[in-house]
Amino acid sequence: MSAPRKVPPRTLARVFWRCLFVQAAWNRRGMQNLGFAYAIDPALRALYPEPERREEALARHLCFFNCHPYMAAAIVGGAIHHEEKVASGLEPGGQPARYKQTLQGPLAALGDGFFWTALRPFFGAAAAVGALLAGWPAIVLALVAYNAIHLVFRLGLFRAGYEKGDAIVGDISRLGLPVAADRLRAAGAALCGVAAAIVVVRSAAPFGGAGGVIAAAAAALGYAALSRGARLLPAAYLAALAGAGAAVVVARLHGSG
Amino acid sequence: MGYLVLALVAGLAAVERKGFLQAMLSRPIALGPLVGWALGDLEGGILVAVPLELLWLGAVNLGAALPVHEALGAAAITGGAVLAGRALGEGTSPEGAILAVLLCTPLALLGRKADRLVEIWNERLAARAEAELARHHARAAVRANLFGLALPFGIAAVLAPVGAAAAELAIPALLRALPAARGPLRLGFLAFAALACASGAKALRARTAPVLFFAGLGAGLAVAAALGRLPT
Repeated sequence: MSAPRKVPPRTLARVFWRCLFVQAAWNRRGMQNLGFAYAIDPALRALYPEPERREEALARHLCFFNCHPYMAAAIVGGAIHHEEKVASGLEPGGQPARYKQTLQGPLAALGDGFFWTALRPFFGAAAAVGALLAGWPAIVLALVAYNAIHLVFRLGLFRAGYEKGDAIVGDISRLGLPVAADRLRAAGAALCGVAAAIVVVRSAAPFGGAGGVIAAAAAALGYAALSRGARLLPAAYLAALAGAGAAVVVARLHGSG
Repeated sequence: MGYLVLALVAGLAAVERKGFLQAMLSRPIALGPLVGWALGDLEGGILVAVPLELLWLGAVNLGAALPVHEALGAAAITGGAVLAGRALGEGTSPEGAILAVLLCTPLALLGRKADRLVEIWNERLAARAEAELARHHARAAVRANLFGLALPFGIAAVLAPVGAAAAELAIPALLRALPAARGPLRLGFLAFAALACASGAKALRARTAPVLFFAGLGAGLAVAAALGRLPT
C-alpha cells in the first residue's frame, strides 16, 4: 500500500472555482462530462504525478455526468474523496465513477425541486414585488439574499462531499429541502398575487375603476387560461392586445356618454 | 455605443445563465435594470424587468429540457424599450415597453432554438476532448470545456442588439404616427403585467397556488383600499 495522498487546500479551492463552470459545454451525449473533468482536473494533477494514471483518472471523469449545477459541487467533492483513496491504493479505480452514478440522479432531482422550482422563483417574485414597492434596492437585496443562500449551499455541499464521501446522503436528507421547497412555492404564489394587486392599483390610478377592472380580469382570466393549458406567449400577446382594445372601448363609451 | 454595451451585457448574461455561476444575474429582474442602467435609464429597466421576471418565472433548465431564452428576450426587450424612449426624447414609457415586448419576445423562442445548436456544437467539443486525451494532451482535453462559453455569448451578443435596433426604429415611428394609441397601449402594458403575475403563480406549481394567488391579490387590494389608493 502506498502512502495516503491528499489534495492540498489551495487545489480544493481551485476545484471549487472550476465547479462554477460545470455546465460550460453542456451537450446531449455526455451532458456535464466536460465540465466535471474540467473541475476535477487540478485535484487529479495533485493526486497522480504519473501521467498515465492521471490520464486514466481523467478518462473516467469524461464519462456521462448530469446533475443540478449547485448539487454537482457535492459530487465533485465526493469524487475527490474517492480519488484520494484510489490514489492511495485503498479503493479500486471504479469507485469514483460508481459514486457519481449513484448520486447524480437523486441529487439532480433534489436540486431541481428546491433551487430551480422553489428558491429561485421565490426570490424572483420577492424581487419583483420589492421593485414595485421600493425600486432597485429591493432587487439588490433579493439578489444578495439568494446568492448568500446559494453560495453557502454550494460551498457547504462541496466541503461535505469531500470530507464525508458517501455519508453526505444523510446530511442532505436532514436538510428537509422538499418541505422547504413546498413552503417557498406557496409563499411565491402569494407574492405573485400581491404583485397582481399592485398592478391593479396602478391601472386604476390613471384609468379609473375601468382600468383596475381590466387588469384584475387579465390576472384572473389569465390564471384560469394558463391552468387549462393555454400557451404562455400567445396568452401574453392576447392580454396586451385585449387590454389595449378594452381601453379603446372604454374611452369610446365615456366619449359617447 | 449603446448597441456595443447591450451586446456585451447580453452576451455575459447568456454565459451566466447556464455556463457559469447561475447566480440569478441573467434573470430578467436583474438583467433588465442592468441593461437599463447601462443605457442610462435604470427606472426604465425596472419597469420592463418586473413583468418579464414574473412572466418567465417558470423558465428553468430542468435536465435536457430547454426553456425559452429569457435572458436574450429580456435584454432585447429592455434595450429596445430604453433606446426607443431615448429616440423619442422622453425616457422609457409603458407604451414603448409593451411594443418592445410584442416586437422582441420571439427572440426568446429563437434563443431556445439557438441553445439546441449550442448543444450540438458542444458535442463536437466533447468528441474533441476525448480525441485530445487519446493523444495524451490532457490539458487540451480539459480546456475544451471553456470553449463552450463562446457560442452562447456570441449568439446573445448579436441577437439582442438586432432586436433592440428593430424596436428603436419601429416604436418611435409608430407612436409618432398614432399618438392616440398611447393610452390604450399603456393599459395594454398593465394588462400584460397582470397576466405575467398569473403566469408567475402558475409556474410555482404549488398545490395551493390558485388559493394563495387570489388570496394575495385580495389582500393587496384590501390594503390598497384601506390606504385610500383605490378609486371609489
